[in-house]
Amino acid sequence: MLPNIDLRIGNLVKALEQVILPALPASQRLARDQVRLVIGHLRMLGGQWKTALRYEEISFEELAALARDLAELVEEPQQRLLTSALKETATCDHSSIDALEDANKILGQAVDMTILGGEDHRPLSRAASEAVLEYALRHARRERIWFQANQLDPDRAELPSIASMLATA
Amino acid sequence: MVTDMAKVRTTPAIDPVDIWDRDQIEPRIKDLLDRTLRDRARGPYAAKTDIEVIAMLERHFASESPAPIEIVDVARLSGGASKEQFAFTLRRAGDIEGERLVLRMDPLEAIAQTCRGREAQVHRAFQNILPVAPVRSLDADGDLIGQPAIILGYVHGVTEPTQGKGHGISGIGTHFEEWASKLAPQFLDALAKVHRFDWHSADLSYFAAPEPGTRQAAIWQVNWWSRVWWDGAVQPVAIMAYAERWLRENAPICDNPVMCHSDLRLGNFMFEEPSGQFTAVLDWELAHIGDFHEDLAWSMQRLFGTWTDGGEFLVSGLIPRAQFLSVYEELSGNRIDPVKLRYYEVLNAYKCAVIDLGQAMRAATEGNSHQDIVLTWLGSAGGVFLEQLVTMMREA
Repeated sequence: MLPNIDLRIGNLVKALEQVILPALPASQRLARDQVRLVIGHLRMLGGQWKTALRYEEISFEELAALARDLAELVEEPQQRLLTSALKETATCDHSSIDALEDANKILGQAVDMTILGGEDHRPLSRAASEAVLEYALRHARRERIWFQANQLDPDRAELPSIASMLATA
Repeated sequence: MVTDMAKVRTTPAIDPVDIWDRDQIEPRIKDLLDRTLRDRARGPYAAKTDIEVIAMLERHFASESPAPIEIVDVARLSGGASKEQFAFTLRRAGDIEGERLVLRMDPLEAIAQTCRGREAQVHRAFQNILPVAPVRSLDADGDLIGQPAIILGYVHGVTEPTQGKGHGISGIGTHFEEWASKLAPQFLDALAKVHRFDWHSADLSYFAAPEPGTRQAAIWQVNWWSRVWWDGAVQPVAIMAYAERWLRENAPICDNPVMCHSDLRLGNFMFEEPSGQFTAVLDWELAHIGDFHEDLAWSMQRLFGTWTDGGEFLVSGLIPRAQFLSVYEELSGNRIDPVKLRYYEVLNAYKCAVIDLGQAMRAATEGNSHQDIVLTWLGSAGGVFLEQLVTMMREA
């Protein structure tokens, strides 16, 4: 691929920073703010796009593991719901981000319904609660690492790099 | 500590409130959320041009009076991640100088779907109590302007020091430095005055009040924000379902519902330089009658604070946490219950996650805001709140 994606992202940032932003009057604050956000998004995308597929794959594998754990810890009808979702997503195409996202939605809906316990709000056992919280902590941490370049995270200094996170996942 | 949900099921009811009844919600909020769903498909939304804004304003003011008017000096305002805002000057015949005003209107979908009628009523209620922008006109349902809008008097001032550092979206990350000593007492005074306000005697017809001595104050909030989540979520997030359940099953009683600003933090007050005098308390759109702990917990969020060079956390970039709480108690007369405060910290983290990962992502996905790019930027901070939810529910 020539020009490659990194080069094109770099060109976009340069044009925005050196030509477009200086040409906007200071009074156009919203426009200037949005240009800065475009630059920020592009920089963040530059650090993410090569590993986005792997990121979604890890997200799917983690969620599938939670669904399997919960299926052993809950009763019917939640157990059947989880088993069905796991079966439906078992053969999802791991080379497609769209397919992985769709699979995550199917699994996620089954997990949500299990957590809420159906219409009679069936209680979650302590073990099931702990499984959800353990998964949720890893999920939240992964998201924080993935988006740390937005500099909104007050504790971003404690986060490892994306490469490090993916290597240990 | 993990909540043993098996035990919760056998816990006797402590009041008549059904914690799973999703229909228990303020009527006006229900109307707004119904409207959001109904209108969602009308998108995408395009940012209004100056010419369109002038036409909308002319139509609106013509409905107020047949006298000729002129709309000039229209200027789009930045700030906030929610409403589309324009400053403009309204001139009537013989009035060369005119009146400088601000049009604040809903895009098709914002990061938070709120009511301009409620905003107008609460502005008017606090007109003689706190510095707030005067309400010049209201189109609560967009009948004339075409989209819900409020027109406010223009207020001079800044939301962050002109020469300061750490400018960010919606004020996040602002370092007040030496300004803090001037601003902190006014901030706390504003919070206490909001909570001491006698809402019973005010015209707040767009509002409803939860029953004192019950869990209704908390459950109304859980129902509001969980409905926003389920109506808008673009992707399931397991901890959101878990947190909703936790919030229902741990809802505290509110003995004395008060007016809550619900977004009083850095970025939402204006002051003049160099005096540091407050000129306006801003962004009342989330105001409701509820538990004062909710407001305290909101102001204390880590995202809205800063750290000194020595590593001390400053609430809203202004004051250390312990001092914030003790001065608040002194000024308000309210006694803080640490269990309720922690509950509302969880609720507020949930609310922020709903806003960032639910409503903002839905609005941006549909292209229904003039600030889609701001919404996706803020959405990328959602993981911060998700981790806070896990940590706080484990500690509770």
